[in-house]
Amino acid sequence: MTHAAETTCTGIPSAKLGMWLFLASEVMFFTGLLGAYIVLRAGLPTWPHPGEELKIQLAALNTFILLSSSMTMALAVAAVHRADRAKAQLFLMLTIGLGTAFLGVKGYEYSLKFAHGHFPGTGIFWDCYFTLTGLHGLHVLAGIIANLWVLSLTFRDDFLKERGHLVEISGLYWHFVDVVWIFLFPLVYLI
Amino acid sequence: MSEHAQPTYGKYLIIWIWLIALLAAGTFISSLPINKTEAVLLILGISLIKTALVALFYMHLKFERSVPLWVVVVFPFFLVGSVVLLVLSSHLFS
Repeated sequence: MTHAAETTCTGIPSAKLGMWLFLASEVMFFTGLLGAYIVLRAGLPTWPHPGEELKIQLAALNTFILLSSSMTMALAVAAVHRADRAKAQLFLMLTIGLGTAFLGVKGYEYSLKFAHGHFPGTGIFWDCYFTLTGLHGLHVLAGIIANLWVLSLTFRDDFLKERGHLVEISGLYWHFVDVVWIFLFPLVYLI
Repeated sequence: MSEHAQPTYGKYLIIWIWLIALLAAGTFISSLPINKTEAVLLILGISLIKTALVALFYMHLKFERSVPLWVVVVFPFFLVGSVVLLVLSSHLFS
């Protein structure tokens, strides 16, 4: 494919290198959060069994949705490689739709907790739950916004030539958000 | 975007099937009446495999030959490892 992505002296396109550096900082951000969660959890004599307090089925459904969205994102990148604009748009729209579905399920899950009187500040378990899943949800929202922006660019005439690489950059972020959930799901809901 | 051989659409679908199968396996293991430590190790092991699949195939790291990029990718995990060791040591030696 051809595009105008500038390349650094390392041989890596600058946008791609920048995204990987950003993701490196995000790894450390979530490591700090998860580390705090594990220390808090291990430091308490008792911890509620997640299966009794949380809806594992809903979280598993959300995991299914997010893993599927990673596939559609990868397919969007592959479509750009094949200079297939229509398929790239289709797969980007599917990714955005699945991301929105994830937030919808998460919103429903939160509404169930609120209905039972569980809010941030009503105990260390719920503080951890809302902090971890809430910050991840914000990252999903940011990914949806980024993908919407990239989708809007796909309608420009110079998209494949000049801006196709942005699908891969946005995709890297989206996959990272998926990877974070791959660890949040078992740590918060299963173990 | 890297000009290397990319997986086909079918390959991405196969990876997705593996990811969903591993999701089902992890969820099933959590419901088994087995030792907690074993369950934690198995479930987190499955998470590591899922992460590897996403990173290698969906994020294209399998096809990445750039050493500087790999440095950027791998370096945070040294810090992650340090945090894990610190957390474990504080519990083991307290």
